[in-house]
Amino acid sequence: MLKQSTLTYHVSHPLHQSEGVSRAARGKGVCHDGQCDFLIAVPVKSFDSGDSNRDLHMIQVTRGAEFPMVTVRTRLPESASASATVKADLEVQFAGQTARYQQVAFEVVTQGDEKKISGTIPTTLTDFKIDPPSLLALPVKNEIPVRVEMTWTSQ
Amino acid sequence: MNLKAVQFVFGIILIFVLTAHSLYAQATLSVSVTDSSGKVVGNAKVTVKNAATGLSTEAQTDSTGLCTVSNLAVGEYEVLASGDGIGTAIAHVTLTAGVEVQQTLLLTVTSVSQAPADNLPNAPTPNKTEPSLEDLGFSKTDTQANAAQQALLDKRTHMLKMHQRFGLITTVPLLATLITSVNAGGKSTSTTDRNVHLVLGAVTGDLYGITAYYAIRAPRIKGTETKGPIKLHKALAWIHGPGMILTPILGAMAYSQKSNGEKVHGIAAAHGPVAIVTAGAFGAALLSVSMKF
Repeated sequence: MLKQSTLTYHVSHPLHQSEGVSRAARGKGVCHDGQCDFLIAVPVKSFDSGDSNRDLHMIQVTRGAEFPMVTVRTRLPESASASATVKADLEVQFAGQTARYQQVAFEVVTQGDEKKISGTIPTTLTDFKIDPPSLLALPVKNEIPVRVEMTWTSQ
Repeated sequence: MNLKAVQFVFGIILIFVLTAHSLYAQATLSVSVTDSSGKVVGNAKVTVKNAATGLSTEAQTDSTGLCTVSNLAVGEYEVLASGDGIGTAIAHVTLTAGVEVQQTLLLTVTSVSQAPADNLPNAPTPNKTEPSLEDLGFSKTDTQANAAQQALLDKRTHMLKMHQRFGLITTVPLLATLITSVNAGGKSTSTTDRNVHLVLGAVTGDLYGITAYYAIRAPRIKGTETKGPIKLHKALAWIHGPGMILTPILGAMAYSQKSNGEKVHGIAAAHGPVAIVTAGAFGAALLSVSMKF
């Protein structure tokens, strides 16, 4: 089970560098036959950039009311949790679109029965067919990397 | 019944009901559920989930192991079937418009363990089912699509974009009005300079009014706490808003006094300072949402 998490998206604009943070993600892993299926989900509206206007605009532009959840699915071998680095193929559903990212690297640190996993998903706006929002006629950059920090525990 | 090592076969036949002239083509999915021996499974729960929207439709097989789910939008679906004490199976199917497809999938569940797999690090559940949103305990309000809310957000964004656009446009005549004020006031006696200043001021006022309209009429989103730079942006409106009303009134008085050959006096003398404070607050409001401090 996902015990706690911090997901942070980063948006670059010529006048701004913004980050939105969510700690509302939930996740679960189910293992069978040496493979584990993971699902991590987070409400779009839970991301907080410290600016309510920007957050509402983010929900609008990502169609967050129509598609309120971001989900990430992956399948890993059970043995992966013993490694210091895991490379995962991710399927991300967001804004009504599905994007797949191959071999995304995550660091794994084991502390007791907890696994601390961190990495960055190289998401872009075009992956999800999102029109780049603009401020003063200047659009944001296409790259919106999402930093993931999770703590998993056995149930 | 021994739950261990039970397999069943899960067959899916797709039948499309297509309307070639419709933008919203729909399809019907027929699902047949059998166990490993080929025996039909009645009362099996079937969940059909649209991969794009996450919306699920549930059905139950009849005594012949069949069920039909109609009025499905074309697209990718995850189909999950489960029978009490038998096992579960999952398939991914694509419903495509314009082609009538019949497809049969055979899915095999190898084993379903009753014993908790304590040695597994990620809390397995006693079946092969992939975890779902329901497993994560999100409430329906978290996961349910809200088209009305999206429409409200779309309208809000449109109106605030217009607000931003007109705000930027307003800065041009605003600056020109400030620049021409040098020759319009003081000891200047030029009627032309005063008139140019007056016209530019009037254009500024009109554009400001349109800018303000889009901000005031933009829909409010319930349950949203205002925070961040937008708080300062809104607070500054309490300065430049009244200022934009007061400035032309004082300006008209000053214009009248100058036109009568008088020195600007009384409350009309505040026209310049009020205009400067108003323009300053307007500029600060613009910067408050443009720059990161």
